[in-house]
Amino acid sequence: MSEPILEMKNISKRFGSVVALNDVSLTVFPGEIRGLIGENGSGKSTISSIAAGMQKANSGQMVFKNNKWEPESMIDALSKGIGMVVQESGTIAGISVAENIFLGELNQFKNKFGIIDKKRLYREADKVLENIGITNVKSNILMQSLDFQERKLVEIAKVMMKKPDILVIDETSTALSHDGRTLMYSLIKRLKNENKSVIFISHDLDEIMTVCDTLTVLRDGKLIRTFEKEEFAADLIRTSMIGRELQGDYYRADYDATSEDAVALEGKSLNYGDKLKDVNIKLHKGEIVGIGGLSTCGMHYLGEALFGALALDSGEVVADSGKVIKSCHNAVGQKIGYVSKDRDTKSLCLEASIKDNISIAGMNIFKTKAGLVTSKNEKKYVSNQIKNLSIKCSSMNQQVSQLSGGNKQKVVFGKWIGCDSEILILDCPTRGVDIGVKQAMYQLMVQLKNEGKAILMISEELPELIGMSDRVLIMKDGQITKEFKRSKDLSEADVINYMI
Amino acid sequence: MSKGNKLKNSQMLIAILPIVALIVLFIVFCTVVQMNEYRLDMYLKIVFNEAVVLAVVATGAIFIYTLGTFDISLGASTLFAATLGVTVYNKTESLVLMILVLFLAGIVCSLFNSILASIFNIPAFVTTVAMMSVLSAIASQIITTDGGALGGISIPSSVVEPYTGVGFKILLLGLYFGICYFIFQHTKTGRRMKYIGGNPLCAGLTGIKANKYTIIAFVMAGIGVGLGAFLTLTYTPSVTTQTASSIGMNIFIAIVFGGMPISGGPRSKIYAALVGGFSYMLLNDILEILIDSSAAYGITQVISAVFFLAVVYVTSMNYRSQMLPR
Repeated sequence: MSEPILEMKNISKRFGSVVALNDVSLTVFPGEIRGLIGENGSGKSTISSIAAGMQKANSGQMVFKNNKWEPESMIDALSKGIGMVVQESGTIAGISVAENIFLGELNQFKNKFGIIDKKRLYREADKVLENIGITNVKSNILMQSLDFQERKLVEIAKVMMKKPDILVIDETSTALSHDGRTLMYSLIKRLKNENKSVIFISHDLDEIMTVCDTLTVLRDGKLIRTFEKEEFAADLIRTSMIGRELQGDYYRADYDATSEDAVALEGKSLNYGDKLKDVNIKLHKGEIVGIGGLSTCGMHYLGEALFGALALDSGEVVADSGKVIKSCHNAVGQKIGYVSKDRDTKSLCLEASIKDNISIAGMNIFKTKAGLVTSKNEKKYVSNQIKNLSIKCSSMNQQVSQLSGGNKQKVVFGKWIGCDSEILILDCPTRGVDIGVKQAMYQLMVQLKNEGKAILMISEELPELIGMSDRVLIMKDGQITKEFKRSKDLSEADVINYMI
Repeated sequence: MSKGNKLKNSQMLIAILPIVALIVLFIVFCTVVQMNEYRLDMYLKIVFNEAVVLAVVATGAIFIYTLGTFDISLGASTLFAATLGVTVYNKTESLVLMILVLFLAGIVCSLFNSILASIFNIPAFVTTVAMMSVLSAIASQIITTDGGALGGISIPSSVVEPYTGVGFKILLLGLYFGICYFIFQHTKTGRRMKYIGGNPLCAGLTGIKANKYTIIAFVMAGIGVGLGAFLTLTYTPSVTTQTASSIGMNIFIAIVFGGMPISGGPRSKIYAALVGGFSYMLLNDILEILIDSSAAYGITQVISAVFFLAVVYVTSMNYRSQMLPR
């Protein structure tokens, strides 16, 4: 066996009272695709971010290419050979795609007058994008005009431009559509062929077993076991991840498409640029409607439109009370909750506490008769959500930014379930969430359905759509092109045909 | 002691640092005054009278700063309100009317700012910079026209005599602070303002109307301006073009001294206005006593600036250390 390219020895890291990593050692070899898997908060992002220079360990040593490895920053690490694509957004809004790609290196594009030669900048940036197969994003547009998937692809291009010896991909695939994932897998393959390494973090067990050569399981900040390819077995890996066997059903066990007759929310002839074209949709009480399609099909816009977050060109969204939803304020007033795909930006205030984030939507529930927000009532309300959703935290005053992805998502759920939302619009609700939490969320959705709540689930994961929905609506080019009823016989192949 | 506890303790220490700084500055102030054989009671009264105006206006301003924006025109608004108040009194000889005008002027100025900011989506700092110039110019015009050779306008000191006592001012400050604290901590309004400051996009997607709360924040600040103008007149019943001129910037420094995060949001603390207001005036007056008065102003600004940067650095470091990788 060749010499390892990266050795991380006895790495420990704490965030306040939280032990994120406890004496973890990890060795990566050239040409190896190393998977990291574990529940949210297990330490996967932490150990990879330490290797990529995002932060420093409290103790332990690292050796990279036979030299002591102490990167000063992510930029330093990238320039020396380790690049990372982070889980959430790693790009900057307000500047162009090209400026993001060449961030900190724009001097090379200055002309003799000291002015940035934009034409050359855009030309070179377009080349960087094309080099990894991104053809639908132009480098001269502003970053914020891209959707979440496109921003992730730009981030990948930015890292790949530096030709890293090790590429760290942290839970990125759930932000990508089928095409995006295909592109990412081809890049991984390309790196492997060039004898370069990849540290690949994902909650998708099927994906990680397919993509990776070896798989390291982390749990509660400790390394549990490293599996070689020939040892890969889904059940065994799952058990290692959560320390027990998964009990009960994962998706819904029934195959009956049931709902009440009453319509909870209706979208009538919704039009929004070329994103939504004459979309009509009815969501019944006690029903889970799944919306699927490619990431650019308009389904994310549909979620925002139904929540009143978009200024529609035409059409209207009507609640069961007959009230037309024209704003998010209207929507919340009609007991509609919205979980965005872009969790850290749109669904949470990261610097606020768990308590602040959960209680913000529920003050009308726990306020006193005089309309006051008392500490006692608020604590009781938040405690219930933390308990019911099993949110792992040191206290309700803990900052949400300190939580893992899954626990953050639980906080978002707590925010909307606590205030007794009758309709939930969930955009990629299990993005970046481990299987244990996923199962809990699926069970919660079934429970909410049984309570008569209406759920609209937008998802890029077909098994999830098929496994959970009473009806699956497929969108393409801003239109609903196909509807599938819940059925035992419904397969991914059936659905994919209508997506592409 | 575990590392976790150490960090918790250091965070707690940083949180109480502004209060410790206030106590230390108070002790230093008393020591400096006595070392110079000045009358401590008189100097304490001077500091109090200056600080109470700053603290009152800053308390109202906290609502604006919590939203993640700021208002540089608060000093000019105070001057404008005081000018109108004095003018109205001199024309009507009605104290009630004067007080009414003080508050109305403060609220209208703030409302105008908030409407420009929230309805027309002009950044608040842009509108307030413009308002600062406009209000100062109007007030100066009135003062120089009505004041003539005196260089200022005034009301008879007997009019405000009953309200010059420290006890009354403490009561007024306590009452206003109490109301603001209550709104800030125990109502939906205050809690939602903090959330908007933390993430306006998420707040919007939680059904919170940012425009509504921007207007409320500016109105609260306007009430503070009115009260500040009244307290200014009780201290010196005359208005010159220099009255309250530095309040706008002093508020900014004072509330950061008091432990308010510069970006607002959920970590905002309303007591920062009180603590910071008094700390800033104590620091200012200590330096004025210690250093030649003609040079003190500049040096005070330099020391304040260094202190300001240090406080911002320490508080932001505290926040950064709590971040998990994203």
